[in-house]
Amino acid sequence: MRTIQSVLWSARLGVALATLVVAACGGGSDSGGASTSQYLDPNQYSAAAGASLSSPNEKTAVTHGSLTLAGAAIAYTATAGHLSALDSSASPEASIFYVAYTADGAAAATRPVTFFFNGGPGSASAWLHLGSFAPKRLVTGEPATTLTVPFAYVDNTESLIDTTDLVFVDAVGTGLSEAISPHTNQTYWGVDVDAAVLRDFIQRWLTVNGRTASPLFLYGESYGTTRVPVLTRLLETAGQPVNGVVEQSTIVDYNSNCSVEGGKPTINCAGFLPTYAAVGDYWHVATGGTSDLDADIATVRAYADSTYEPDAATWLANGTLPPANHIAALVAFTGLPTATWDTQFDMDYDTFRHNLIADTTLGVYDGRMSALVGSALDAQDDPSDTFLEPGFQAGMNAVLPALGFTNPSTYVMTSDAIDTWNFSHGGRSLPDVVPDLSAAISLDPSLKILFLGGEHDLITPFHQTELDVARLGSGAPLALQFYPGGHMTYLDDGTRPLMKARLAAFYASATGAQ
Amino acid sequence: MRNVLALSMLLAVASVQAAPHLDPGAPPVSAQQAAQAENRVRPASVGAVLDADAERHLRDSFDAADTAHRGTLSRAEAQAGGFGWIANHFDAIDTQHAGRVSFDDVKRYLKSRGTSGTATQ
Repeated sequence: MRTIQSVLWSARLGVALATLVVAACGGGSDSGGASTSQYLDPNQYSAAAGASLSSPNEKTAVTHGSLTLAGAAIAYTATAGHLSALDSSASPEASIFYVAYTADGAAAATRPVTFFFNGGPGSASAWLHLGSFAPKRLVTGEPATTLTVPFAYVDNTESLIDTTDLVFVDAVGTGLSEAISPHTNQTYWGVDVDAAVLRDFIQRWLTVNGRTASPLFLYGESYGTTRVPVLTRLLETAGQPVNGVVEQSTIVDYNSNCSVEGGKPTINCAGFLPTYAAVGDYWHVATGGTSDLDADIATVRAYADSTYEPDAATWLANGTLPPANHIAALVAFTGLPTATWDTQFDMDYDTFRHNLIADTTLGVYDGRMSALVGSALDAQDDPSDTFLEPGFQAGMNAVLPALGFTNPSTYVMTSDAIDTWNFSHGGRSLPDVVPDLSAAISLDPSLKILFLGGEHDLITPFHQTELDVARLGSGAPLALQFYPGGHMTYLDDGTRPLMKARLAAFYASATGAQ
Repeated sequence: MRNVLALSMLLAVASVQAAPHLDPGAPPVSAQQAAQAENRVRPASVGAVLDADAERHLRDSFDAADTAHRGTLSRAEAQAGGFGWIANHFDAIDTQHAGRVSFDDVKRYLKSRGTSGTATQ
């Protein structure tokens, strides 16, 4: 009965399970219910730009599990499969793959449902699905890089299943989601078209599952934090209220984040300075650091705004370095050598992570992860992704069959979507979705927004988030909370319990329970 | 000689690292360059300018629903055109009981609720 209790990591057992499915399964079930059903989906899904699915189906695999949180057992149903997003004429747009974890016996009118999206663009939802708040999670040990694939898959004592149902969604052309003929994946590879097709998917899922009255939450990570504000505005406009939005490792304005330009930014990198200080503290190279990370961050945040930002603006304008005592302050805050500041004063994260410690590359997604230059962990120039991605790919390959869903296609963790993505939005060539948040708040004054992130994430730095969302004004219904950790902040075993507690309070607030 | 060449080619291959998967990844260079030019004349919006940016999104949705280009929407037209929020709030927006609402009516309603212009609150 505990179908997902025993995850089958070995390929031999995986083949045995697939054989079992073929033998036992005459087709899937259309929706959840008390029964368990396996589904062998014969479709071949593709994440290529020109791919187009001719025979979508909406059959699902349904399994049951139980998780004990704070002494109480929560019985839940896991549903894995596809549901078609339909346009306003009810014509199919895309076959969207999702895995839903829903608590059994909850009242639809009061039970929240949360849709989770990773980013990229082009990333499947595997990171949030297997790493964050589902009933089970992968054990990564981040920031250590000592564990090996396969990562253990364990009951998640920080699961949010005691608070909300969770639906992990793959955007078009990621995971196992694909556009439906005559559309191609490319049809939905743009800021606005992506959000629109995901709006249509969410509305269809809520309707099919009788959940249109349930409190609705959206949880985005990385590019998902660009996607979700647009999606929130579109849902509110369509008349579907959203109770709460969680933005995890935020980029709401591509015009202000200097990481999107790669090595030689033209954008001011002042929003990154407190993150550099936190990473320098971690490696004990920041001589100005103390044992109090919060206090150090407060000091450097103030310095970034008052002094480094205008200094970097001057350097960007005419190449003039500030007085030597300003450089000395930056060296003390971060541990990054004087010569590096002299060469690249507007400090991009790539220069920082290659020069903080000799012969060492620091992780893009977690500056606490490191690799010796030339080592296997450095092979892709990013120890964080090189360490984590194989474990998450292997995790999806094992978890989907364990959830009763088998399919001949490869689950695509990262597609080529970014290469041909239409980034234009709101009259700009690169998206600024702060106006989308503002519009959504206008339409729905009860909407609440929580920004979460890691203090050691080098690609969506927390202070840049603070600067971006300050544009909404002090009266806006938002809160920010940052923790020791990287981009996938929830992978840190010390931080994940803190995030769960913060999220539980947020859900209570956004549903009027407190 | 051939061995040396083969060795140097091997070293060249070995020294080229695969680019990391970035998320958020860098947009195409053409979009970055266009954005740089735009941002010089249109910096990040705050206050009334941000309100105008937000309002433009709502106006675009209104115009998309107004397929007859009348400048007004009935409740049914709003619903059918994807602006269900207007249909849901129609009686409160249609203070004149005209059966049709303009975008100015929508703006007036938002302002009366005190939620339009979050940036300037």
